[in-house]
Amino acid sequence: MSAVARSLKSSLGDSRLLLPLAVLGLIFLFDLIFIPGFFDTEIRQGHLYGSLIDILRNSAPIILLAIGMTVVIATGGVDLSVGAVMAISASVAAILIDPRKVGLTLSGDITAVVGDPTYSFMPLPVVIVAAMLAALACGVWNGALVAYVRIQPMVATLILMIAGRGIAQLATNSIKINIFNDAFSFLGNGFVLMLPLSIFLVLGIFIGSWLLLRRTALGLFVESVGISSRASLFAGINEQRVKLFAYVFCALCAGIAGLVAVSSIKTSDANVIGLYTELDAILAVVIGGTVLGAGGRFSLLGSVLGALVIQATMTSMYHLGVPASAITVVKAIVVVLVIVLYSEQARDVIRRAVGRTGTRKQGASA
Amino acid sequence: MTQTLGARLSNSRRFLPLGATIAMFFVVYAFGVMAFPAMRDSQPFFNLLNTAPFLLIAVVGQALVIISGGIDLSVGGVIALTTVVTAALLRAEWDPAVVIVLMLLMGITIGGVMGFFITYLKVQPFIATLAGMWFARGMCYVISDAEIRIYDPTWKTLAGVKVLIPGLADPVAKTGSYITSLVVIALVVLVVGLFLAHLTRFGRTLYAMGGDSGRNEQSARLMGLPVDRTKMQVYMFNGLCSALAGLVYSIYVGSGHGSHAMGMELLVIAAVVIGGVALTGGEGYVLGAFFGVLILSLIQSLILYNGQLSSWWTSIFIGMLMLLFIGVQSVLATINARSLARSTAGGMKRPRTAPWRDRRFLAGAGAVIAAIIGITLVGPLTSSPQTTTDGDSAILTGDCAPAESRAAEAEEMQAAGAAIVYQRFGGSDCVDQLYGLYPDGRVTGVDGTQTVEAQVEPSAVADLVTNLEGLGWFTDEMYTTWHHPCAECYTYEITVTSGDQTKTVGAVDGGTDAPAKYWLVKTRISALLPETNGAP
Repeated sequence: MSAVARSLKSSLGDSRLLLPLAVLGLIFLFDLIFIPGFFDTEIRQGHLYGSLIDILRNSAPIILLAIGMTVVIATGGVDLSVGAVMAISASVAAILIDPRKVGLTLSGDITAVVGDPTYSFMPLPVVIVAAMLAALACGVWNGALVAYVRIQPMVATLILMIAGRGIAQLATNSIKINIFNDAFSFLGNGFVLMLPLSIFLVLGIFIGSWLLLRRTALGLFVESVGISSRASLFAGINEQRVKLFAYVFCALCAGIAGLVAVSSIKTSDANVIGLYTELDAILAVVIGGTVLGAGGRFSLLGSVLGALVIQATMTSMYHLGVPASAITVVKAIVVVLVIVLYSEQARDVIRRAVGRTGTRKQGASA
Repeated sequence: MTQTLGARLSNSRRFLPLGATIAMFFVVYAFGVMAFPAMRDSQPFFNLLNTAPFLLIAVVGQALVIISGGIDLSVGGVIALTTVVTAALLRAEWDPAVVIVLMLLMGITIGGVMGFFITYLKVQPFIATLAGMWFARGMCYVISDAEIRIYDPTWKTLAGVKVLIPGLADPVAKTGSYITSLVVIALVVLVVGLFLAHLTRFGRTLYAMGGDSGRNEQSARLMGLPVDRTKMQVYMFNGLCSALAGLVYSIYVGSGHGSHAMGMELLVIAAVVIGGVALTGGEGYVLGAFFGVLILSLIQSLILYNGQLSSWWTSIFIGMLMLLFIGVQSVLATINARSLARSTAGGMKRPRTAPWRDRRFLAGAGAVIAAIIGITLVGPLTSSPQTTTDGDSAILTGDCAPAESRAAEAEEMQAAGAAIVYQRFGGSDCVDQLYGLYPDGRVTGVDGTQTVEAQVEPSAVADLVTNLEGLGWFTDEMYTTWHHPCAECYTYEITVTSGDQTKTVGAVDGGTDAPAKYWLVKTRISALLPETNGAP
């Protein structure tokens, strides 16, 4: 058995990834039985289409948020403002692509560019960089409040959660901005190698964060600060800077998520973009096995699986014809299911049932 | 002697966050009185209570939960669910008393289930109540997608009852300052909350449990306090408060729908924080949270009185205020830590972050002062581009000049007896419409280029006015939203006159903050207008 397979097996054995995988498996089993044709995937116009592809594509924003949120939760905090940060970065991008909507003064013939798929007021790289800068500023604000001013994370980020959406509305004049630019909407709707571009984007960011956190000491610092920031300080870790990093990283992920979200629906509405997604992201992290409130060990892959669980639930419900507004009931039931599965009592039972064979093998390999 | 003095000082220091909240309320109120003469009357003060009875109720339960070291995100969801179930049961002609009792039981049950998860399955309060919120919100739409109106006479009566304030009202003529019956309910809940928090064992256990990230809970347990039972009880009590707030909400708006009280949990938590209750638990007062709601109401009414600030400024101000109050709290914590260090033998090292904390306090205070100055300055500043055409003409270099509001002409029409005056202007095609609908069925106006006259059935106009009244035109549900001039969207200004009531409401069609029913009103009015100039 190769080392990779063994490490995979042992990481499965300690029930960190096992539970999210089990929940995901349960949902797919449910789909297999109750929704005929759920797994059908076909090639249309050179692109892959199907429910599985839909789940992957639509979960892109939640996965991005969950990756960032994992790091913050691992430092022992929480970031409630990611939805507002999504709205801010999306608004900044929308304004820079098409500032006429918000009543900014422009020269030249305006009516000629209405609906022009190549028109963008600023070049697209500038748009993306500006949106990222806005997200960065939000992250620095949150991080500074938590790390240097030492406000409790939930309160510190609650401030931006409430005020941030107001700022986004202020910037956009609270007007829906339609985005006609084709190149920008490619970000959320485009296909590369038969698969949606956003999948590759998410994959790239996941691999990047994994390398950053697992192939440098940074991940260790994050976990150390999460377990005890005081002990980390004594061990020579600049815990304030680590916390600042976590919030900035989370805000940048939220900024990218905002861009993906706005480009896939082609409309920026500061009231709606990212509304309640912070809750989804936190839930994804919790499903993924990172403990909220305690800090310490984290699992990026677990959070990605958690996000997939949420999106797979929603997609399955859409297939069953459950109205969008009533889906939250199903979400609540999934949360309860997960809570019960994760509770110590249930874990004991699972450990006894599954772990009996697993521990013996682990013992043998060790 | 010095010890008792020290004890007294630290005792009064405990009340400082509460004092800061109350002082802040009166300072901002005094500012409002100076800036807006309309606030000098006594009724605007009571309206702060009248516009938010459900918040006043919800905040009492939430404050207790937060003092116990937990949090409850389900408040808004439970309020919405209560309105929907109430409306559905009343539509099925259930007895109102039974409905009220059932709803309160439902609230206690939902709170109890969440409390069970938190207490016995050791689930994070955040996650458990998040599930509760999603469940409650979703159930609303399972029961009914559409809004259910409430026609029950009991509900109508409760909505209409006004309690006159002794000394400020004329009991014979039934005029003067009043509070609504709903506020009376809220005040009763406040008294119950104060009693529970400060005069019962339950309240003492709450304070003992909260704070120090769970370690105090352990201490309380070791002291033999009934922590588990109290935790269950506090979530059940909050469920009860949420359900009661939901009943009050259903009376206040007269309907039930899943979108009611959207995001209310955030407002409630913000009010609790502004009220000086520490989110870590163990510190703060229910009364402070009550004043937190009053401050939120005050901000909203100041923005309304200003008339030039958009509704989204509210959330920005709330954020700033939260920052300020957290600043106050942590300055106090620093002072406490210092005095503790002084009293400890040998002395502890002063906390490294102390200067930051002071600076933060200054920054927070600065932010609020800037906000208050802003509220007066931004109005005139942002209104200037509306009146000077230079800015506007630069938006549109196309073939037409942007239209302006024809306020004077609209007023003339109204003076001439028009029941509805409808204006639509702006946009990239420079629409400039003004219509008046008269009770005799006459429709006059301009479509931008020429004068138009038309005739409709007189009953159609009367029906329309009744219809708009039914949509809540003269209630708080219709409010003006304010925007900068927008290059691609149309601005609407609609004035409806019925009897001695007249109200103008404006909105912009690209905006997402106007009341949803406003667009229903617009559609119904434009159905009667002559089709001219190609615009709908």
